[in-house]
Amino acid sequence: MEKSSLTLLSADAVRRGDRAAIARAITALENEMPGAAALADALATEAGRAHVIGITGPPGAGKSTLIAALLAECTKRGRRIAVVAVDPSSPLSGGAVLGDRIRMSEQAAAENVFVRSLASRGHAGGLARTTRRIVDLLDAAGYDPVIVETVGAGQSEVAIAALADTCAVVCPPGLGDDVQAIKAGILEIADLLVVSKGDSALATATVRDLEGMLALRARRGGWKVPVLLTSAARGEGVAALLDAADAHAQACGRGRRLARPEPAPADERARTAALAARDAFARNCRIELVDAGAGHAEVAMTVGAEHLNFNGTCHGGALFALADTAFGLASNSHGRVAAGIEVHISYHAAAREGERLAARASEVSRTRRLATYRIEVRRGARGEGDLVASFTGTVYVTGRHHDSPDGEAPTRSSRRSP
Amino acid sequence: MDIRPKVLVTKIGLDGHDRGSRIVAAHLRDAGMEVVYTPPWQEIAAVVKLAQEEDVDVIGVSSLATDHLIVPRLMEALRAAGLSEVGVIVGGIVPDDDERALLDAGVARVFHPGTSLADIATYVRELAARSRAAKFAA
Ligand SMILES: Nc1nc2c(ncn2[C@@H]2O[C@H](COP(=O)(O)OP(=O)(O)OP(=O)(O)O)[C@@H](O)[C@H]2O)c(=O)[nH]1
Ligand SMILES: [Mg+2]
Repeated sequence: MEKSSLTLLSADAVRRGDRAAIARAITALENEMPGAAALADALATEAGRAHVIGITGPPGAGKSTLIAALLAECTKRGRRIAVVAVDPSSPLSGGAVLGDRIRMSEQAAAENVFVRSLASRGHAGGLARTTRRIVDLLDAAGYDPVIVETVGAGQSEVAIAALADTCAVVCPPGLGDDVQAIKAGILEIADLLVVSKGDSALATATVRDLEGMLALRARRGGWKVPVLLTSAARGEGVAALLDAADAHAQACGRGRRLARPEPAPADERARTAALAARDAFARNCRIELVDAGAGHAEVAMTVGAEHLNFNGTCHGGALFALADTAFGLASNSHGRVAAGIEVHISYHAAAREGERLAARASEVSRTRRLATYRIEVRRGARGEGDLVASFTGTVYVTGRHHDSPDGEAPTRSSRRSP
Repeated sequence: MDIRPKVLVTKIGLDGHDRGSRIVAAHLRDAGMEVVYTPPWQEIAAVVKLAQEEDVDVIGVSSLATDHLIVPRLMEALRAAGLSEVGVIVGGIVPDDDERALLDAGVARVFHPGTSLADIATYVRELAARSRAAKFAA
């Protein structure tokens, strides 16, 4: 029986826990496809029931293996559990090998378990940009807990602290000098400190080191951060870890992420389209908007006689204008006014009259004040052909906002009208 | 829309060599795709569940021995799960008669030893685009 995408992008089917519908809806959210924003809105009110557990820690710490053990423990306790596992995208190709799931193969086969792997797609902070919305969806689908594994880049994992109700930092035994790095970075966000690979020699020493460090730190909100020794390989300490996570949710509550509303993807698309429509220079160069969303934009133009240089090929300035337009739209898509401060372009091949060229901008990194984008200009209506130019640019992100008439950042209430 | 192909590289059946599938997985990543892969000896039901949850566009089955003979059962299981839009390719040593049987069962293409990784990547990209279009056709 063939199912149409209409039934597959249905909030009701997600609520019912229909696996196919949930999976397809995640794809729509992840790629900001048409219908995704409406679906997210329809399910938004149901978010906040599930206990969201973040699992972070250095690469190879044993996060995925520990999650596999937690899946087995949750299954034993009769829970429906979802995992969102984020792996890094290659900064060169944009591709990714999503390797977390392979550690959970056996447990992921169980009926009550839903596992989804995501690539970080250049998003900084250890998560994919759409992770929050995907967690909301799994929450609405009735999974509890929802476990999120971060990319494990080490210190830049603070995004998980805003997303998860309970944040478990996994520390492999024998951290040595790395203890300093952990102390400076992700230790601050830990609600639970988990020493992994408890079956190996240095594990108990690492527990002592971490306890020593915690003793120096002020307690936060009445919760005493425990140091838990686990061995996923032997299944030891896993039940105690789940108990501690439950106790933390009891003490500190659920739905931590809901305190920070996030603009819907539709906002970003509409905003970018509005900005493009106001861009007189781009219009004059016959540059058209093809697609845009949060942190990305695609524009295209057909090389006309007015774009040619004295050699009869497309002028470098025209290629620059095309790339720069994509850069400007992507960097302003989030809502705050962003101003270019530095760019670099390389020209790889000549383009000729009549050729259709597409420039696609994607976000490489973004902090509160600075953001960097990579733009590729390729032949073909959707940039499916070979590379003509590549462009890297950095913007300064101002405090001003595009959407509010006075140019001030909107307040929370003005942004979230029902 | 900027959609990256999502591909599952897997092995079903009894053959435990997964070096080939790891190489293919790494190559598809380098070609800009998002790749999930499994350990060897996967049950068909587990592969179908994974393909559904991850919403992959293409499944690549690597077969060195006679594992490809199980692929028609995989095709049947995918159809039963409502995943008929997913493109399936098989890579490995597959005799001509078996290849015909695989294509009849709905396999999109069989790649024989010696095919360049670049050719595989090009084909997977096309197949993924077709699969996506079919999945999201209203
Ligand atoms: N001895 C022992 N080894 C373990 C244990 N848990 C994980 N490992 C090993 O540690 C390595 C990394 O495990 P993963 O679970 O993939 O670690 P990870 O933190 O998810 O890794 P990334 O996602 O790549 O950052 C693997 O070789 C595991 O077999 C354990 O409890 N004991
Ligand atoms: Mg992992």
